[in-house]
Amino acid sequence: MRRWGIIAACLSIAACTTTQVKLADSIERPAPTSRMLVLQPDVQLSIITAGGLLEARADWSTQARDNIAAAVRSALDGKGLKYSALDPSSVESGRNAQLLRLNNAVGQSILIYNYGLVLPTHKAAFNWTLGDGVKSLGDTYGGDYALFINARGSYSSDTRKAVMVIATLVGVSIPTGGQSLVASLVDLKTGRIVWFNVAQASPDADMRSPEGAQKLLAEVLKSAPF
Amino acid sequence: MRPFRKLAAAAIGLALLPTSVSALGGQARPPHLRPPDPGSDEGGLWDASDKAEQKARASGDLDADPVLNAYVKSVECKVASEYCEDVRLYVMDRPFFNAETAPNGYIEVWTGTLLRARNEAELAFVLGHETTHFALNHSIQAERDLKNRANGAMAIGLILSAGAMVGGAYAGMSASQISSMDADLVNISYLGAVAGFFHFSREQEMEADRGGFDRLTAAGYDPAAAADVWRRLIDEQAHSDFEKVRRTPARAGIFDDHPLEGERLATLSELAKGKGPGDLGRERYRAAIRPHLAALLRDDLRRRDYGETLFTIDRLLADGDDAGVLNYFRGECFRLRRGDGDAALALAAYEAAATAADAPVETWEQLGALYQQQHQAAKARAAYQTYLDRAPNAQDRWLIDGALKKLAQSEGT
Amino acid sequence: MRKLVLGLVLAAGALTLWGCTTVSDAPTGAYQVGTAYQVTLGREWADVSRIMLDRSKSVHVLSIDGPLLNRLYLSEGIASGDSMVTSHVKEKPTPTYKADFSAQETVEFVADSVSALDYDKVETSNLRPAKFGGIDAVRFDLAAKTKDGLDISGSAITAQRQGQLFVILYLAPTEHYYGDGLPEVEAIMSSASFRGA
Repeated sequence: MRRWGIIAACLSIAACTTTQVKLADSIERPAPTSRMLVLQPDVQLSIITAGGLLEARADWSTQARDNIAAAVRSALDGKGLKYSALDPSSVESGRNAQLLRLNNAVGQSILIYNYGLVLPTHKAAFNWTLGDGVKSLGDTYGGDYALFINARGSYSSDTRKAVMVIATLVGVSIPTGGQSLVASLVDLKTGRIVWFNVAQASPDADMRSPEGAQKLLAEVLKSAPF
Repeated sequence: MRPFRKLAAAAIGLALLPTSVSALGGQARPPHLRPPDPGSDEGGLWDASDKAEQKARASGDLDADPVLNAYVKSVECKVASEYCEDVRLYVMDRPFFNAETAPNGYIEVWTGTLLRARNEAELAFVLGHETTHFALNHSIQAERDLKNRANGAMAIGLILSAGAMVGGAYAGMSASQISSMDADLVNISYLGAVAGFFHFSREQEMEADRGGFDRLTAAGYDPAAAADVWRRLIDEQAHSDFEKVRRTPARAGIFDDHPLEGERLATLSELAKGKGPGDLGRERYRAAIRPHLAALLRDDLRRRDYGETLFTIDRLLADGDDAGVLNYFRGECFRLRRGDGDAALALAAYEAAATAADAPVETWEQLGALYQQQHQAAKARAAYQTYLDRAPNAQDRWLIDGALKKLAQSEGT
Repeated sequence: MRKLVLGLVLAAGALTLWGCTTVSDAPTGAYQVGTAYQVTLGREWADVSRIMLDRSKSVHVLSIDGPLLNRLYLSEGIASGDSMVTSHVKEKPTPTYKADFSAQETVEFVADSVSALDYDKVETSNLRPAKFGGIDAVRFDLAAKTKDGLDISGSAITAQRQGQLFVILYLAPTEHYYGDGLPEVEAIMSSASFRGA
């Protein structure tokens, strides 16, 4: 729990995005000729109403999704890596759909058991896989590695901010929102999750703006093995 | 006292936040309408519905049977012809009476609805009711009402907190009020929380009943079907095994907050008075459901409310069709309930099933087991043998063979 | 990942803070299932029983990669009137075992319990005779789906002895995880031995 204390403290200071990275050991770094299959980022942004409800903002979500995708593209361009895009909602059935759903289950498990509870069977190395059935994804859509990105964010509305001021005056603390992003890289030959990163973004890396998304992605991808 | 008054005023101001008026006012939405502004709350609701629909398409609950889905869609199109091209209908394998239409035109019809409707007219009324919620944009109003309540609750919480500054009496309460508010208030962004904007007001439910009735009769269906289907839900619930369920007022769906009993039922009965009979579509309906009836009953039995399942089965039996399947599942109710005297009731039900042409093959397996329990060896052997003859690839064949061997030994043959 | 990232992790962290849930170790070797029997684990497992809130107290749950990816239920003797899976709502009862169940009814009990765990489209297949700690038992396979549409495969064994039901049930995603764990699970099932038998 100490980790969260640090993160909370960090968020209250102006500009710091914190990341917690997991790297599988004994992996080959992706060769410069590797092709990346970039899944369309799963982004859901909401506004926090005055009353504390999260209200989905379709425009922000789409904006941020496009900003993050663009930031990923420029990062990969910078490394000279080839890539292609895949919208997971176009994969509805068959083995590829099962693989994407399995990836969700593995990702959730990593979050619970590498960032929260401890599994004695996963204490030593970071060792998670989708199994080598992932070859099906690589064969169908082309790619040596798959990059998954999920982002969630909530932002206080103006009235919410007014409420926060009032709340502070009466000594009550209420949720203020934040941005978090999870990124993972999967080897499409073996199925291993070679890199996993959970990032809490500071307000100045606001993914609703292209610059904010660039800043956030730069931090996130710093530790990526490519 | 002055700081308190200022704060209270600010907080009350919060509660009175104006809601933006929907561009449509109270009129029905025209076909092919998309909300123009993804930044609006309607846009957010639409987007959330899109995401919920994607989830429904992937869901383990989805019933992908094309014939069944096409049939239910055809009934929807009869009562909602102007939206027929806009809506996408999904049958979900869930053993509860429920149907919902999301603001983006995606419809869920749960199989518990299909089990309980007695004819096509009743299904048509349910779909017409849901279409009316959709047509009158009730979801967006429900979402705004929820927001207002949340703002109001926040305001009250803050007033109480401010009170704490001066009075101290509410000190502990204010903090917990606010945190329980966060817990209670539904995250209306997406997925399971889509349910949050299906909590309609009493007026909206009455409107949907009325709209459903109008669509029902306009499509030539029997006007009595509307009150009939709601009344049967009330009666089913009155037969529940559980006292709490019996004492809870019956409702029209999982998210419906408003009782069917009383004014809703009276209104629909009144509306039907003096109107001539219309199409019930009973045989058409039963033919569409028949291939799924056993699966629907098996799912309903998983709820383990035998009183309700028996009620549903008995109402269907009264119509005369599907006696084999229905009596078999009657037997299953008694077998699973395992109350005093249930073994005899189960036996009678399976025996009734066995006389009907559509009896499931498992009928004879259950008969064999019961006869065996009662030491009626000859009858048991005959029943088991019939089962194996009718189901040569039964996965428990080796168990039945073992039972037959045992029975032969006990008979001394 | 559809679940709120932060919410999940905070929830997990909070659970640890309270100290009322721990994941403990189930090392290679003998693993006691209550006082009735033991099995032999061919590798290290995690005992996740305490974080699985839906199971009866007499049911152990082991996992290697977390319950979303593999789970092995091992029941102590389930007595007449007891369940494998608990319900928190009286009006939503879960299947209960009765001592006069036929073999087929024990299979139905397990399948219905898996349904009660919120799996969809649960089906059983490939019923076959087996031994559990030397007594007659039934082996069978399962298929199911999660709410998210992930295909799940399963394998189970049930045996009745002295008015009690013993169940070992393995569930894992069909893609990779089921096949990967099955040999170890089959060895565990074969290794069951009653204490003082």
